Amino acid sequence: MGILNQKKTKVSDQIPTASMADIAFLLLIFFLVTTVFPKDRGLAVVLPEPGQETEVSPKNILHIMVRTDGIVDLRRGESTSIQQVRANDLEAIWRHEVTANPNLIAAVRTHPDAPHRFMIDVLDALQLAGAERISLQMLEEF
Amino acid sequence: MAIKGGGLDRKSKAASEIPSSSLADIAFLLLIFFMVTTVFRTDKDRPIEWAQAAATEKIDEKVKNILNVWVERDGSIWINDRNYPMSEVSEVVGPLYAASQRHLVISVRADRETPYFYIDAVQKELVSAGVVRVVFATELERQMRGIRR
Repeated sequence: MGILNQKKTKVSDQIPTASMADIAFLLLIFFLVTTVFPKDRGLAVVLPEPGQETEVSPKNILHIMVRTDGIVDLRRGESTSIQQVRANDLEAIWRHEVTANPNLIAAVRTHPDAPHRFMIDVLDALQLAGAERISLQMLEEF
Repeated sequence: MAIKGGGLDRKSKAASEIPSSSLADIAFLLLIFFMVTTVFRTDKDRPIEWAQAAATEKIDEKVKNILNVWVERDGSIWINDRNYPMSEVSEVVGPLYAASQRHLVISVRADRETPYFYIDAVQKELVSAGVVRVVFATELERQMRGIRR
């Protein structure tokens, strides 16, 4: 600009704030619409690492066999007698069994045709009872 | 409010308009809340019926470290919006697991009626990919039997 040309500039030197609320609302609506609250919940299990198989004394195993109709066959350690229970009863059974034998391991074996939810019911009952050592397998001989 | 015609005609001193000067502040507050809590979804949900469990817990891991493996009723597997045959699951999961420095948690999202055969196959694939932490995604089951314990 020339020295003689000292007319006052009409451009304001401030950022216009009148539309600030509109911009904020625009962004707000965008985030409101795109937000998805994640539903990451479930039953956590820890899988064994490959080749890491541990021998467990047969008397420390509680065999839990899930059948296709959701009925659970229960076999304790080395005994051969099979008890039929419902998945809901397992919570009390586990609590009772684990006080007698703190080294107990739950071996859950599920029939290949049994729906997923029956295995979840059993896992749910065991986790509610505080069981930590749970092995999940597929029932092979039936 | 003043009653028109008759009565006292004093003007009310309370403003009859909603104050709008703090509107922008409220909007910004909400905006910042949503900006902070927003997680852009990584994959689309598959149409499955969730299994229910009372022991359902929140996964204790960052959202970006959770990989969803969808198992549908017919045994088809979906990872990141793509359908994979069962035998390729470990090849898909393995590199992702390595890339996350072994922090990845697999969320197995299986339909409640999926035969266990498929779940077991997925589980074997995950073991061969070296994955340790797995979560069977469930919905929280409301207990109708009163307080437990």
